[in-house]
Amino acid sequence: MNLHRTYPIAGGILVAIFLLVIPQTLPILLIHLSTEILYFALFAVSFNLVFGYGGLLPFGHAALFGIGAYTAGLLFNHLPQLSILPILLIAALSGLVAGFLIGLFCVRLSGPYFSLASLAFQMFFFAVALKWRSVTHGSDGMGITRPGLYLPLLGSLPMGEVQNLYYITLVLVALGIFTCYFFLKTPLGNSVVCMRENEIRASFLGYDIFLTKITVLAVSGMLAGLAGGLFALFQGFVSTTCIDVNMSLIVLLMVVIGGTDYFLGPVIGAAFYLIFQDWLSGMTRHWWLFMGIFFVFVVLYLEGGIIELFKFGKIRLWISKSGNKT
Amino acid sequence: MEASVELYLAQAMHGLVYGMLIFMVASGLSLVFGMMGVLNISHAAFYMLGAYLAYSITLFLGSFWISLLISPLIVGGLGILIERYLLRKVYRRGHTAELLLTFGLFFILAELVLIIWGSAPLRVAVPKLFDGEISLMGTTYPNYRLFILGFSCLVLFGMALILMRTRLGIIVRAAVSDVVMEEALGVNVSSVFMWVIGGGAALAAIAGVIAAPFVSTYPGMGFEILMDCFVVIVVGGFGSLLGVFIGSLMIGELQSFGILWVPQLAMVFQFLLMVVILIIRPTGLFGEKA
Amino acid sequence: MTIVKLKNISKDFSGLQVLVGITLEILEGECHAIIGPNGAGKSTLFNIITGLYRPSGGKIFFLDKDITNWSAHKIARLGISRSFQITNIFPKMTVFENVRNAIVSKFNRRFDWVSLLNKDKKIGEECDRIMNLLVLIDKKDVPASELSYGAQRQLEMALTLARDPLLIMLDEPTAGLTADETRKAVQMIKQVTKGKTLLIVEHDMEVVFSLADRITVLNYGEVLATGAPAEIRENEKVKMAYLGRG
Repeated sequence: MNLHRTYPIAGGILVAIFLLVIPQTLPILLIHLSTEILYFALFAVSFNLVFGYGGLLPFGHAALFGIGAYTAGLLFNHLPQLSILPILLIAALSGLVAGFLIGLFCVRLSGPYFSLASLAFQMFFFAVALKWRSVTHGSDGMGITRPGLYLPLLGSLPMGEVQNLYYITLVLVALGIFTCYFFLKTPLGNSVVCMRENEIRASFLGYDIFLTKITVLAVSGMLAGLAGGLFALFQGFVSTTCIDVNMSLIVLLMVVIGGTDYFLGPVIGAAFYLIFQDWLSGMTRHWWLFMGIFFVFVVLYLEGGIIELFKFGKIRLWISKSGNKT
Repeated sequence: MEASVELYLAQAMHGLVYGMLIFMVASGLSLVFGMMGVLNISHAAFYMLGAYLAYSITLFLGSFWISLLISPLIVGGLGILIERYLLRKVYRRGHTAELLLTFGLFFILAELVLIIWGSAPLRVAVPKLFDGEISLMGTTYPNYRLFILGFSCLVLFGMALILMRTRLGIIVRAAVSDVVMEEALGVNVSSVFMWVIGGGAALAAIAGVIAAPFVSTYPGMGFEILMDCFVVIVVGGFGSLLGVFIGSLMIGELQSFGILWVPQLAMVFQFLLMVVILIIRPTGLFGEKA
Repeated sequence: MTIVKLKNISKDFSGLQVLVGITLEILEGECHAIIGPNGAGKSTLFNIITGLYRPSGGKIFFLDKDITNWSAHKIARLGISRSFQITNIFPKMTVFENVRNAIVSKFNRRFDWVSLLNKDKKIGEECDRIMNLLVLIDKKDVPASELSYGAQRQLEMALTLARDPLLIMLDEPTAGLTADETRKAVQMIKQVTKGKTLLIVEHDMEVVFSLADRITVLNYGEVLATGAPAEIRENEKVKMAYLGRG
């Protein structure tokens, strides 16, 4: 019996069962939390694709999330004839296009220059979202009327209930995360990691670094856009908070705390952050301070994030290292 | 609002004043970056701390001038402690870890300020010496702002003198050029790092103190100056102090006139400029590296 | 047939003139060595040919194609491959993964987003072939950073050869090797580059004279002389350059 294969598979099945029964067993508030954890997990995974695997640190990743959220929100409100799935697909595409465009201008720069460039674009989009009140309602935000979910053979399912929202989020997030995982296993995914490991050598082996970086930003944008769309769907409301610097900070926190070295690190980080936030904010107004302190603690003493704590002896519960411990 | 030459002049002065404040903060940031390769995000928090400490010290000790003396010392000391006990731990792990650490520190400092002083803006009274206005080119202009201008020029001149003429200055400039070489020559580079971060922190705190009566203190000021510094560095160019200087003045003026002409879009302009520069001249107007 | 032709190549870095009027031809199948005192501009020349630097003046041709301002990756795809003096591999990846990076590029699969890399037999077999050639197969799953210096140099060579290049450029391949290792390296180089065109930069004269068909001597950024080893040995200007200094 191959230990390295059976444990992850068994674990995976347990997790899957757990995720499926959540809406039946947990109180409404926890279902809410779980749904949030899900789409943030997707957002965090998209961030780590660029950061952990691609080796680029974008300070403005929320731009991709926010663009997805606003695209979905506007479509939900203005094109009621479209059902949920096509709209979320378009949200994902908007993220892809945004990622591509931002990449086009930012990847020529390296290191902190790239980080600031990414931030510049995000702040610009934020400013647009804030000031273009006629479309986005600025900081007041816009409410969203959720259409039904049209499934062939099953007809249209209403989306008012939390359980339904949870399930659709679960399915799409799982799809997104699996897509990312598969992407990393393809030669293109290898190109991304290869570029990160040694950009110059990769260049001399024939890798077009510029194009590769843009690609990873586009793919990441697609996933972040989808996450944003799910955010809009679930919250029923979109305001500038989804595209501001705070949101970029949050996803950075999640990924660093969770761990960049393993594929599922960001998922752990998202869960940790949101559960921590939920728990702490009930106890003190200054929970944000403790989050900051914990973040600094992780950077100083827990190199590789909290997922490093999950390695029991020789059995690695999660596969696919990015090889990039930060 | 009628457009008049006096109004434009006043706005231009205003822009100049704010530009100089930004430069005092951004120059420290740029210097540390040039020397250590680290974008020290917590630097913006030093500015904010300087301002808030000015508020408290002025409140408890009754004198603004004392706070101008004490606040930079406290903040400079904090900078030194941060370098010595926190930053130093992550040098071996590379720039990303350093960046994440300084970011985390900014975070924590900003939160602490919020917790200690609250979220309401706190007014710091303009020192009596400079209270009032003088007539300047057909319009009246607040004395205090002229003081800010004059004082910041003095401080920056002093800094330039230190960098150019003293032994410490030479060591710092050499470190910006080639750290490894300096170490080989026997200079205690970690010590230099410590003093430069501390010095930069003190400088940012001075900016914060003199800015306090001008902009008052509010929780968002750290983040705002951080954004301003980033825009300045992108527009002016990394690695060029001249670029940072010109960039600071540009952003100061942009904000000043932006608020005058298109208050709704002032913020958009700043980032639009950043985006445009990134597209057409990624190295910045005066920068050397990209 | 000429593989690479340099016409009047010059390069200056912010005023510092590093190369002047370099005109040179590399012929098919030859082993052409570039030698010269330190600072003569040999590395710069390498970097210009491989596209890392743009020349300040002049033109470069590869098989009659003007590649003067081409970027490094495009030149690599044409069939020019280079090794580095300071080992430049993918440190955290295994030997196999290192070589695989080169092979994926060789088969133009860099942007293949639909197949699973691990399952690819063709790529795997080609990687094995290269690793066998460089006697690295037994270290297949060792992370590159854990290899001995000699093995890392082998890997460096493997990466340089993996794409089956038309022109192999080696930058001081025997730097840091002991006399014994050097001899072995020269043997290996002769073996793996048989029939290929080779351009090498070297300091070790024994290596140069045992490998080179033709030698070009650079000094202060200029070509001092080009010719067969025997001619170069007797060349007065060359002697002055090496012996007249210091």
